[in-house]
Amino acid sequence: MIVSLAFFSPAQPFIHLLVIGALVLSVLLILQSGHTLYLMLYTWDQPEAYRLAQAPASFLPPQKTFTVMLPARHEEDVIQTTIERVVRSHYPPALLEVVVICSEDDTGTIAQAQLKIDQLRQQGLENVRVLSYNEKPINKPHGLNIGFRNTTHEVVTIFDAEDDIHPDIFNVVNTLLQQERVAVVQCGVQLMNYETNWYSTLNVLEYFFWFKSRLHYHAKHKSIPLGGNTVFFTREILERVDGWDNYDLTEDADIGIRISCLGEPMRVVYDDRYVTREETPPTLKQFIKQRTRWSQGFMQTLLKGDWRRLPTMGQRLLAFYTLAFPTAQAMLGLYIIASFIMILTVKVPTVIAIILNIPFYMLVAHFILAMVGLFEFTDAHHLKLTWKVPIIMTIMYLPYQWVLSYAALRAAMRQLRGLNNWEKTQHVGAHRQQELTALDVKPSSGR
Amino acid sequence: MKQIEATQAPQQDNTDHEIDQQLKKRFKARALLPGSPAREASHWGLAQHALLLVSLVSGAITHGYHLFLYPLYVTDEGIYMEQAWSVLREGALSPYTYFYDHAPAGWLMIAGWVSLLPFQFQTFGNAINTGRVLMLIIHLVNVFLLFHVTYRFSGSTLAATIAAFLFNFSPLAVYYQREVVLDNLMVFWVLLSLYLVTRDDGRIATVTLSGLAFGMGVLTKENAIFFAPVFLYLLYTQIRRHQNYRFAMASWCYVSFSVISLYFLYASLKNELLPTHFDFDLNNPPADHVSLLYSIWWQLHRSQGSILDTHSYFWVILHIWWAKDPFILVAGAVALFANVVIGLKDRSHNRGFLVVSLLAAGYAFYVAKGSVLLEFYIVPLLPFLAMNMGMFISYLLRPLRKAGPKAIPVAVESAFALVFCAILISPTGGYVYNHDQWGKVVFHDLYKLPVTPMQAAELAYVRKNIPPTAKIIIDDELWVDLHDVAPYYKWAHSHWKAAADPAVRDKLFGKNWQNIDYIVMSNQMLQAMEQNNGDGNETWIIDALLYHSERVWDLKRGGIELQIYKIVK
Repeated sequence: MIVSLAFFSPAQPFIHLLVIGALVLSVLLILQSGHTLYLMLYTWDQPEAYRLAQAPASFLPPQKTFTVMLPARHEEDVIQTTIERVVRSHYPPALLEVVVICSEDDTGTIAQAQLKIDQLRQQGLENVRVLSYNEKPINKPHGLNIGFRNTTHEVVTIFDAEDDIHPDIFNVVNTLLQQERVAVVQCGVQLMNYETNWYSTLNVLEYFFWFKSRLHYHAKHKSIPLGGNTVFFTREILERVDGWDNYDLTEDADIGIRISCLGEPMRVVYDDRYVTREETPPTLKQFIKQRTRWSQGFMQTLLKGDWRRLPTMGQRLLAFYTLAFPTAQAMLGLYIIASFIMILTVKVPTVIAIILNIPFYMLVAHFILAMVGLFEFTDAHHLKLTWKVPIIMTIMYLPYQWVLSYAALRAAMRQLRGLNNWEKTQHVGAHRQQELTALDVKPSSGR
Repeated sequence: MKQIEATQAPQQDNTDHEIDQQLKKRFKARALLPGSPAREASHWGLAQHALLLVSLVSGAITHGYHLFLYPLYVTDEGIYMEQAWSVLREGALSPYTYFYDHAPAGWLMIAGWVSLLPFQFQTFGNAINTGRVLMLIIHLVNVFLLFHVTYRFSGSTLAATIAAFLFNFSPLAVYYQREVVLDNLMVFWVLLSLYLVTRDDGRIATVTLSGLAFGMGVLTKENAIFFAPVFLYLLYTQIRRHQNYRFAMASWCYVSFSVISLYFLYASLKNELLPTHFDFDLNNPPADHVSLLYSIWWQLHRSQGSILDTHSYFWVILHIWWAKDPFILVAGAVALFANVVIGLKDRSHNRGFLVVSLLAAGYAFYVAKGSVLLEFYIVPLLPFLAMNMGMFISYLLRPLRKAGPKAIPVAVESAFALVFCAILISPTGGYVYNHDQWGKVVFHDLYKLPVTPMQAAELAYVRKNIPPTAKIIIDDELWVDLHDVAPYYKWAHSHWKAAADPAVRDKLFGKNWQNIDYIVMSNQMLQAMEQNNGDGNETWIIDALLYHSERVWDLKRGGIELQIYKIVK
């Protein structure tokens, strides 16, 4: 916030209070921004953390058995490719059971999934099936619980319907689970379509920094909001926490906090080679819905209070800070308006004015690190960066932050109004390089 | 349990080996610095710690002994102490109009130091003494940093020891490093930045702190910016092999830029960034308010003649430096050129030589190019001349390390170092001992000649004989002691401000000699007033001194003369 010198004298008590409030908020913003910047760079900064984030250099022979859950709703366009990718992974089919989880009314997705399953059966692959349900609520966590309770393999994982997994992802996790005593392995998820539209670049970079850096910090401090897919749980730990919360919009963050409360070690792996590839929401409206859901889910998880059972104060503070951030982000959106008014109207001593300007420096630092991250990302994934992308990213950086604040505000309003329905994100497979082939649709013969 | 054999992960496009090969191919990744902490062989033993301790102790002695007695207090010391006084007592950057002559981080540091002391400015007898104690502490920290950095660049304990010795014992160094000048503080930040960037721990946080230190160096004394190109080269070569090099480079650049930008932010918040109507005419200084950018523009255009002009002030100053220590100037220059060649011949293994020589060359360019030059501007060059010499000497003795068992080169290097130091300390070198006019071996003036008591006597006369209400023209070295100790002489102002600051010149004195009661002359103050009188603004003071005064106090010793004049109206 840039504060200049203007009309009013600080002698007025109201202005005094405003300035003190702005000063306190600025100091908090500076601390929060500094911490955010640190988390963005955590893995890059700590050579040991970087080493731990890498996948094993060599794989142990397959031993663990995996249940792969593919919750899907209206994913006709993408589900077949995802099933194909899972089944064709470099892991013995006998050790994989794959279930596509749909609500019974989602006949389109069921039909497409069943078509693919029938094709695979003709090729001798019989480890895929459809699980359908009709009990309320119709949402992802409920679907996961259905899948979890109707499967048997020792490690349970989730992939979203639009995910492109790496064929060796099971080898990576199999090796880690044999080498280390961990209950959960969160592998990297990465949005890939960074050039699609004006917000996709920054959205991609959010994932990049979150999975490549910040989550490792959370794992180290044992207070981790997990991701919603490419996360591997031992069946035993899922049974201990009784699966997912059917009514939490961010069931992934919630289960991560609850497992953290048990003190169970969790491992995070982000190796550029093995990330699961996803896409950004195709439209701004979809993006806002997705972010609203995440923000509201964090608010729900915060209000539930499970984080209070975390063993140490540091863990609780970290969890609180992480879960409360969307709420703070909503307020920040309003603060920006107030700060703009202050720019034009309030006179303060120079030293205070300098302090009030420092959050602006932190904002620029964040932008610069994001820009550097763009080069890191394209380099890591062997993508060619055109000159347009950094320019668009520069222009749209602030509008993007405003969109996030708007989504957080929207989430707050929905939470206050008790609106908890799942606003589903559409997927079109923008990150997939191969064109989907047209398939004949046959009636479902799923179980 | 059945033995499980691991299989190589297939499709590994980017193994560590391949990445390393790509790096080397594309970016010619440099080897680690010879003394890098990342090398196992660079880990310090007892010898290194002992020699560092010796360096610190000897630096404490050479800089601490006789600190309050020599050299004479000078104007600039007074200026920085009075600005620190203003920070603490008035919450302002200067007791007068701050016209952005220098960025303020230096006297903010001094103010911070003074604020910690029980009796603040008078803790060590007077204000400048108090500042000099800070310079002593800073010097010891600089010795620590210099020793480490030299070792890292060269991998040689001999180089580090010789560099520290020269930094500690050179009379040129001791003389100016005792003074309360911004350059000493700037050297601290620059050496700290070097120390951090050569730490080689692969961390962005370390590189970021290096950028912060460099930015602070520029905010302490703007000339530090002349080190920037070489710093960027060193930084890049240091971090390129790390996977976080992009972030590290961006962090260093952004943090140093941000710190420096605070100066401009301050000016813009005060509406003092740009001159009125964007008028940068040097013949027409802004009258309504000061301007940072105008001051920078004015500084860039100031010149006292370059090295190419044999009548320029550069040669006058060089003569002064030469009288104090010709050895470090000549040998340092030779080592500088030699190290450039050594470094260019093999940049991969001798990168440190190239960096140190270019750091010295970059700053030497600034000194020689013809901007305004003051005596103590040699200060930032001294550590790098010392480092160059230490590293060059170690390079010359390097072939010994390959000949025979380790004990031989260690013995030879130790003997060389002892002889080298002994010669310089002896009357032959003149660093500590020299011959007086009768041929007797005596200590250097730095350690035996008490000159500041003369200034204390002058101050005592003022306090005893001049009323606090008198309007006095002084030099800045007395300013804080007259304004900070009761009774306060609030109408005592330096001739510099009486000539240039409208609030003093016009409002207080009315530019009229009859409004002056006393003139307290520092050593060579008349000469300084005449040199500063290019615009005629000191004429009324000089006239008062020469034509309307009587001398009431005088003290002369050797080439130093102090006087006090009463104006006869």
